[in-house]
Amino acid sequence: MTGRRLHPFTLLAIAGALPALAWILPAPIGGACTAAVAFVLTLIPGARLTPGASPGFRGIGVSPGSRPGLVVFRTALLTAVPFWVFLRLLHDVPTTIAIGLRITTMVASFVWLAATLAPDRLVEATVARGWSVTAAYLFAATITAVPTLRDRARRIVEAQRCRGLSPRGSLGNRLRALRALALPLVLSALHDVDERALALETRGMVSGARRTPLAPPPDSAVERAARWALLAACVAALIWRFK
Amino acid sequence: MKSLTLERVSFWYPATEAPALRDVSLEVVQGEVVALVGAVGAGASTVLLAAGDLAPRLTGGRIAGTVSRRDRSAIVLPTPWTQVSGMAFTVWDEVAFGPANLGWPTHEIARQVDRAMAHLELGPLATRDPATLSGGELQRVIIAATLAMDSGLVLFDEPAAELDAEGASALWRLIRLLAKEGKAVLLATSALDALPDVADRVVWLEDGAVRAVGTPDLLADVAACDAGLGTSVATVWGASGLPGPYPLTVAHAVRQWR
Repeated sequence: MTGRRLHPFTLLAIAGALPALAWILPAPIGGACTAAVAFVLTLIPGARLTPGASPGFRGIGVSPGSRPGLVVFRTALLTAVPFWVFLRLLHDVPTTIAIGLRITTMVASFVWLAATLAPDRLVEATVARGWSVTAAYLFAATITAVPTLRDRARRIVEAQRCRGLSPRGSLGNRLRALRALALPLVLSALHDVDERALALETRGMVSGARRTPLAPPPDSAVERAARWALLAACVAALIWRFK
Repeated sequence: MKSLTLERVSFWYPATEAPALRDVSLEVVQGEVVALVGAVGAGASTVLLAAGDLAPRLTGGRIAGTVSRRDRSAIVLPTPWTQVSGMAFTVWDEVAFGPANLGWPTHEIARQVDRAMAHLELGPLATRDPATLSGGELQRVIIAATLAMDSGLVLFDEPAAELDAEGASALWRLIRLLAKEGKAVLLATSALDALPDVADRVVWLEDGAVRAVGTPDLLADVAACDAGLGTSVATVWGASGLPGPYPLTVAHAVRQWR
């Protein structure tokens, strides 16, 4: 079964349960197991960059012929690495491993979720449950925000390079490059948010709107049972740890 | 019947002293196309935001005067990329996004979406991912998405900015069709040459105030040409030193020349 075929709530349950278990179960074995599961998930061919995926993830650069699963795996790995560096600067090796594995689980779970969860399916699923469309949109937009901003930052860096700014070299050079990246990134994002708010408002996305679900994703009894099982596993782990 | 009325509307954006609009009064009736023209910063886009109940509600700032709307309004902004919902992965779903938010029954959503897509000739793109479209294609999708909501008052802010000449011509024809169907259309555009065939009335804005209101003949006025708001034919006629009145279109120029 691929990630894309799962109900959005099941994807959320998995992405939520793994970090929860990572922090509840004893370190380092608990974190190692959950991190391993999270990375295996990123390698499942269904965790892919195909239509229906989080739109921002189209920006992570899949070349023809490359395996999307590997791209998601690499993204999760590269995102987790800086946390290990900082942890090692602050802590001894056992603590670094204990916390690092937990944080790695969180990062890998989120990257997997962002690559797997189609925002439109999440909105449809939440609306079908009778939730507000604005709340559903807010959550889905949060999932897609990071890769979207990352894609935008890449374009700004390329534009600034064309103007002769080098993001390499001395610390002073890098700081200047950072300012030249951050300012247009933040300002353009704010401008886009302004315009998108106007556009969404005029397209009926107002507080209290009761959206018609167009194609709510099917939610099987097996998946519902699996979600309850994940919740039960987390609660059981918590009781076991603190009894 | 009046669809939109602005009475002595002034508007200030947040943290600004100077008003963006000053005592603007205008009305748009059903079946009418009113075009707002003016230099950059004249206030045309702000009039649309006020008319659409978006300013100051979403933009912030403060407003004076009265804005009365009889119909629900929809607006098309100049940049299509910021108007995409981000929640749809086919063009059909993107167009259906607004109608679905209105809570319409599924069959009515399908009817309106199919009608709007037919108007914009989007059938061949129905299953495409909006993220893969060109700027012009995406603008057509956004226009279709707006039309699918079947609003009585349609506001266009530079709708042809991303379109090629053929797409722009189709858009102008569509706007006339909307008026024929009884919708009120308020349009801010710098495509002045299109207005003689599209607009019933032209409102000339200057520094946030209405300077003149009239038929599209206003765009052949000497003062309008001097302000850069004449049609190409009128502007060239005036620049070449030929005597007035300036012709509005090529057809007018030919008649006048003979």
